[in-house]
Amino acid sequence: MAEVYVEEFMSPGCVGCPIVKEMLKSLSEELGGEITVEEVDITVDTTRAAQYGVMSVPAIAINGELKFMGVPKKEELKKALMEESKKDE
Amino acid sequence: MVREKKEKRIGIFICHCGKNVAGGVDIKALIESSRGLEGVVFVEDNKFSCSEEGQIAIQDAVKNNDLDRIVVAACDPGLHLLTFQRCGQKLGIDPAFVDLIDIRKWTMFGSPNKVDEKQALDNSERIIEQAVKRMRLKRIIPKVTVKVNPSVVVIGGGVAGLEASLDLADKGYRVHLVERLPTIGGKMALLYKVFPTNDCAPCILAPKTAYANIHPNINLLTHSEVTNVEGHIGNFGIVVNQNPRYVDEKKCTGCGLCIEKCPARVADNEYSRGLSDRKAIYIPYDQAIPRKAVIDNQNCLYFQKGSCRLCEKACPASAIDFKQEPKTIELKVGAIIVATGFDEYNPVRKTEYGYGRYGNVITQFQLARLLDIDGPTRGRLLRPTDKKEPRSIAMIQCVGSRDENANGYCSSVCCMYALKHAQIIKEMVSPDAQVYISYIDMRTTGKGFEEYYKRTREMAVNFIHGRPGEVIENNETKNLILKVEDSDIGELLRLEVDLVVLSCATIPAKGTKQLAELLRINLDENGFFREIHPKLRPVETNRRGVYICGSAQGPKDIPDSIVQAKAAASCADSELRKGEIQLPESIVKKEKAN
Repeated sequence: MAEVYVEEFMSPGCVGCPIVKEMLKSLSEELGGEITVEEVDITVDTTRAAQYGVMSVPAIAINGELKFMGVPKKEELKKALMEESKKDE
Repeated sequence: MVREKKEKRIGIFICHCGKNVAGGVDIKALIESSRGLEGVVFVEDNKFSCSEEGQIAIQDAVKNNDLDRIVVAACDPGLHLLTFQRCGQKLGIDPAFVDLIDIRKWTMFGSPNKVDEKQALDNSERIIEQAVKRMRLKRIIPKVTVKVNPSVVVIGGGVAGLEASLDLADKGYRVHLVERLPTIGGKMALLYKVFPTNDCAPCILAPKTAYANIHPNINLLTHSEVTNVEGHIGNFGIVVNQNPRYVDEKKCTGCGLCIEKCPARVADNEYSRGLSDRKAIYIPYDQAIPRKAVIDNQNCLYFQKGSCRLCEKACPASAIDFKQEPKTIELKVGAIIVATGFDEYNPVRKTEYGYGRYGNVITQFQLARLLDIDGPTRGRLLRPTDKKEPRSIAMIQCVGSRDENANGYCSSVCCMYALKHAQIIKEMVSPDAQVYISYIDMRTTGKGFEEYYKRTREMAVNFIHGRPGEVIENNETKNLILKVEDSDIGELLRLEVDLVVLSCATIPAKGTKQLAELLRINLDENGFFREIHPKLRPVETNRRGVYICGSAQGPKDIPDSIVQAKAAASCADSELRKGEIQLPESIVKKEKAN
């Protein structure tokens, strides 16, 4: 499986963020160790959030592309990660 | 040149930032560890990467090493990311492939995150590795071009909101000015006079309110609140809820006959700060804009008990309309300016000063209303309990400010307005009265402010360097007793005064938090709107196209509010005048889906 870099945009006090975090953790384990997850606190790194156009948290960017805003279904997230890992740029 | 290649060629540039980075981390070790990272083909350090020389070095390295991605390890991306993106763009590198990561926060003297050299190296290595990986796997953020709507909504009709509105309206933009209260003018209209010139506040405010009222490009929406915000810069969709006045604005002439006939009296907490009454139908104050009556349905006999309607009978223009309903107004605008101002801290919470328990303890805003020749006492300074002129007045500074149990910050205007009120009392109202100002520090840093302070001292106002621990009321006379240690003379003073005035903190206006949630912009630790950079981008927020100004951003005086309002207007203008802008596709898609 090819590498995937996931940026999880979150903020302190965000209700959905821990759910996404947990989802990403379990999917990383399920899909193998090639997934890197970085937590980006939008209250600290406002510039990065603005670059991607993140307007609400949680939000997920995969390999530099904003894929989800809000809490996705686990299956959708899994599908996106699988597709991404197959892409051969 | 079109290059077909799969391998990413990343260059890392480590900035010394003089000694700011180099003084706190081993640069050589950082270069070595960076060299080994996958995809990295070039690593170099610069003394100042942001300097012209530093940027040329980056461009040379890109050309000589065929780099297609750049990672600069230096300072906060809020500061210089654009600098390096522009530098890369000159050589055809997409901005998405240029990253700036902040390693300086761990190394710079004075930084709250500073750590020791070993820890700084570990941290820096970790985030460089992370950034390299991110860059290696990243693709271009897809962008789309959208048209910009040449109009703006300004939330808040105080002096800052007015200034921003007038600036933009004069530039030709359509401005919708939304004010929660039935009149524009904000807190400034309550001030009577303004420092350091002692000009009459309504007199210098009125040209702005009057112009806003007749400006062909300004749509004034008073008694209204923003209830929903969607969209993005260039194309925001705003929903405004306009509360009913129960008076037809087009017919009302502001004659006041309805007010004379109205039998319902209630405390005027807004304009007279609770010091006098108003009717249930009222015009907030003489110079109110728009000068139209409004019915307070919570206190109107007709709304509460179903009978009366005396105002309706009295109105010669048949303007009273009890059937008015709240109106929902939808607006499409390109940018949003937030100027929702501040509220006065409620000193009831500082029980030691007895506000709310002792009748003769008032706030500075209440004093301003008492001193105002158009205020509830027509400019006669009368203390609340017996309506007698106080012969001695003590002002207590920093009530709820610079206080870890209330608000840690300095409210910045209280020193000056206490001095202003002392001057007004000594010069115009009661020259023989004893005025005491009990302070921790006098902070008079604006233009002409120190001279103003000096002038106040020369007027025989008594300055006491210390804060009283408690205020006690004399049950019989209703006078107030203060015990305070003056640290300048090293003595414990016992004062008995007729009136105590509290200089209360400036706090975020009611509803600031809800508005921040609606606009999806950040608040700072004190609850004011957070700017994106405290020094360099003081009126921009984390959401592009939403700007803040005036006391909504933090406590400030009128000149500073005006400066910020003009800055916010200028920021909005810079974006709107382009006609169209490029945005990440995800933003536009999301909004379309909504």
